[in-house]
Amino acid sequence: MVWRRGRLILSEESRQETTSERTARGRTHGAFRCLNCFERIVPPEKAESYKCPKCGFEWRVSWPSPTIPRIRGPVWETNRRLTDEIMAKEKGQGK
Amino acid sequence: MRKMLVTDYEKCTGCRLCELVCSVKHEGVSNPARSRINVTKWETKGIMVPMVCSQCEDAPCMAVCPTNARIRESELGTVTVNYDRCIGCKTCVVACPFGAINFDPIDHKVISCDLCEGDPQCARFCETGAIRYAEASDANKMRQREAAEKLYESLQKLDGAGVS
Amino acid sequence: MALNRKIAYIDLSSGKVETKPISMEMRKKYLGGRGLDAYLLYNNTKAGVDPLGPDNVCLVSAGILVGTLASATARTHIAGKSPLTGYFGSTNMGGFFAPEMRWAGFDHLVIRGKAEKPVYLWIHNGEIEIRDAKDIWGKGVRDTQSIIREEMGDREIKVMTIGIAGENLVRYANVMTEIKNSGGRTGMGALLGSKNLKAIAVRGTLDIKIEHPVEALEYNKQIISQITSAKVSQEQGRLGTLFIWGATNSQGLVRTRNFQLNQMEDSDGIEPETFEDSAFGMTGCFGCQVHCRAKYIIPDGDYKGTYDEGPEYTSIGAFAAEPGCTDLTTILTGNHLVNDYGMDTLEIGSMIAWAMELYEKGILTDKDTDGLDLSFGNEKAVIEMIHRIAHREGLGDILAEGPLRAAEKIGKDSIRYQVHVKGMSNLHSDERPTPALALGIATASRGSDHLRSRPAIDLYHLPEAVLRQIYSQPVAYEGPLTSDYTDYEGKSWQVFWQEMCYMAVDCLGICKYHTIFLGPNFPNFEEWSKLLYYNTGLELTPLEIWTIAERTNDLERMFNLREGLARSDDWLVDAYFDEPTKLGIPLIRDRVIDRDKFKQMIDEFYAFHGWDEQGKLKPETLKRLGLDKEPSHLL
Ligand SMILES: [Zn+2]
Repeated sequence: MVWRRGRLILSEESRQETTSERTARGRTHGAFRCLNCFERIVPPEKAESYKCPKCGFEWRVSWPSPTIPRIRGPVWETNRRLTDEIMAKEKGQGK
Repeated sequence: MRKMLVTDYEKCTGCRLCELVCSVKHEGVSNPARSRINVTKWETKGIMVPMVCSQCEDAPCMAVCPTNARIRESELGTVTVNYDRCIGCKTCVVACPFGAINFDPIDHKVISCDLCEGDPQCARFCETGAIRYAEASDANKMRQREAAEKLYESLQKLDGAGVS
Repeated sequence: MALNRKIAYIDLSSGKVETKPISMEMRKKYLGGRGLDAYLLYNNTKAGVDPLGPDNVCLVSAGILVGTLASATARTHIAGKSPLTGYFGSTNMGGFFAPEMRWAGFDHLVIRGKAEKPVYLWIHNGEIEIRDAKDIWGKGVRDTQSIIREEMGDREIKVMTIGIAGENLVRYANVMTEIKNSGGRTGMGALLGSKNLKAIAVRGTLDIKIEHPVEALEYNKQIISQITSAKVSQEQGRLGTLFIWGATNSQGLVRTRNFQLNQMEDSDGIEPETFEDSAFGMTGCFGCQVHCRAKYIIPDGDYKGTYDEGPEYTSIGAFAAEPGCTDLTTILTGNHLVNDYGMDTLEIGSMIAWAMELYEKGILTDKDTDGLDLSFGNEKAVIEMIHRIAHREGLGDILAEGPLRAAEKIGKDSIRYQVHVKGMSNLHSDERPTPALALGIATASRGSDHLRSRPAIDLYHLPEAVLRQIYSQPVAYEGPLTSDYTDYEGKSWQVFWQEMCYMAVDCLGICKYHTIFLGPNFPNFEEWSKLLYYNTGLELTPLEIWTIAERTNDLERMFNLREGLARSDDWLVDAYFDEPTKLGIPLIRDRVIDRDKFKQMIDEFYAFHGWDEQGKLKPETLKRLGLDKEPSHLL
């Protein structure tokens, strides 16, 4: 966007979308990103925990609002076990 | 039908945005001293209460005004000031049981809520719902519903405990 | 108009007060708040000034948009040479003080000298008076404010004050206002204490004229919707910054036991959601609809029934994760105590955790602690140490000196266990897996800091296209950008961009939660350009605001260089490079920062600034930003 001074700020031109308005359009409700694999996942409404369908890591879920699920914390046993497995495998491959 | 400003101190976060938008809307300036609404606070207890004119049906300010300058506007039912008649004696400021009439320190005149001609900015900007503009006859409904919910929950707890 | 606010020079030694206007030229160069403070500090101190001596200045300011319609314009900035680091001292707090100071007619205070006996300032509609502070000296933050309000008979008075820690010159003492609004970093509370200045009380009823009131109202409404509709705001409006802890601990990006571990598994009892039961509603700063502070009553323990506000992400770090505690009451009590003593949560938590590791390693013994068992996990010891540090008793007297001085006093190998940059403790997060965040703390102008340039959204794994939209305005950037937070590529630009972004909000007086910090879709340069115009009439393009941020950041750098800062100070402690992370998800486990790549990041970061490889401003940079004549003493 070309930015001009003064009175123009109040004109038509200023009603064009700003960058932050544009990026906000990509916002999704109802989903969160898995904190392990970053897949965007959609837990069922009011779910208290949810297993990522892509990587299997399991998260306890809280709901700041009925449409916003957020990760409250890991399901410790599941994630510890999966991490140990992955790390052992990587070591095996000499990584 | 008459609408009114319904305040709920439990929802108020004390941010005073209502004071800011009120003074900008009416005077074109940021200055809470010239706002028609004020948030009263007890900081050390975390209590915040928005205070604003209730547009009383039997308004003490109208009754005490020696020059009949406090008048009721027929359309919105607001109690406003006719500045041609007002002599600035501030009797209404003292008489208001809510302290909801302010004296503007810059223009030296009494000011009180005029409901922004039907679109009160305080309610428009208050996202927490601490100030709502609602039908007067419905003003209690939200509170009623919340109370009913609490009652219902506690009754359920009683059921769960096997009391009933 | 909003731009007619004045600057007051107050000499506490002579009692002389002088007020001056702020010229439009200075506004266009530095805006206000932190920007103009950088100018004032550079011009009103000499190199090597004693931070706790009368020749250091204490600057108090409001941003240029404070009190206007720009969504959350509450921020007070306090600056001076830091008693903690010896470099640029700067801290920023919310609340209601700065707007009140503007309604009282002032944007900036330059306080120098030292009062003979404790005093406080009374500022009211253009008048400034130095008053006797005998009734409030020795009082806590909360009582001080109540006493002043009562004495003056005006409950609307806003007070900025130091607590007992500031009076005792604890080097990381806070400046406080209201219950918990804290100017926490770099020990500005000690600076006030050294001047015998207990508090500043303000009350004002002067207009701040809004230049285009109709447009300002409508645009403010739009900005507020943009902010409050963001997921992160709704989360923050319920749990405050605590929510960050849940997300970062889930991955292993927090610090526990003085940086020995990076995840806390036994933490379900102190999860943000657990705290919700003790809270009864939220409160916020002036004009803010995010309302990120929870109101709570301490549920248990010695302070049961006491009201306070917060706690924050750092409260969990300081009073639970780092000292290895797991009781919510310790967090809530610790938060209350530091709020009333007026001390930096982050610094005190780090100092206590450090002492605990020294105790574990046998460097500190029961003799040093006067019999106090400083084992990790001893909840009572954490609370006891807060009292001792505030009153400078026993070991507390040493810990009150901050990381470097305390390590020097304790000696032995103790410095090895410090986690600091430039003598200021790091946030209780683990940056070993995240080079971008590591670069931010290593290069921040006020010492280790996460609010100067941290690209926190780097943790969100945003698509590259989104990153490109954000980070390529208002100046073009075509270099690399990557979604992977463990990467080094392009991160130096993100840190540079965020540094400009945060500087700009600090000049404007807007809260960082209202720009690109925790959420990617928040207002920034383009919005500020409009907000400035609608509210103050000042016409600045987004690029011009960016340039002001560059100028003011560089001026802070110049101050630090004048105080002897070198490239080697923009660095992390060895643990970041040598000790891999032990816990967390696979992406985060076994991570260290790569020394060579980190050096390269710093090179890039310097180059973006127009600094040479030693971190000094190149002559052409000085010229381009109009800094070649500083110190110019124009004000
Ligand atoms: Zn996953």
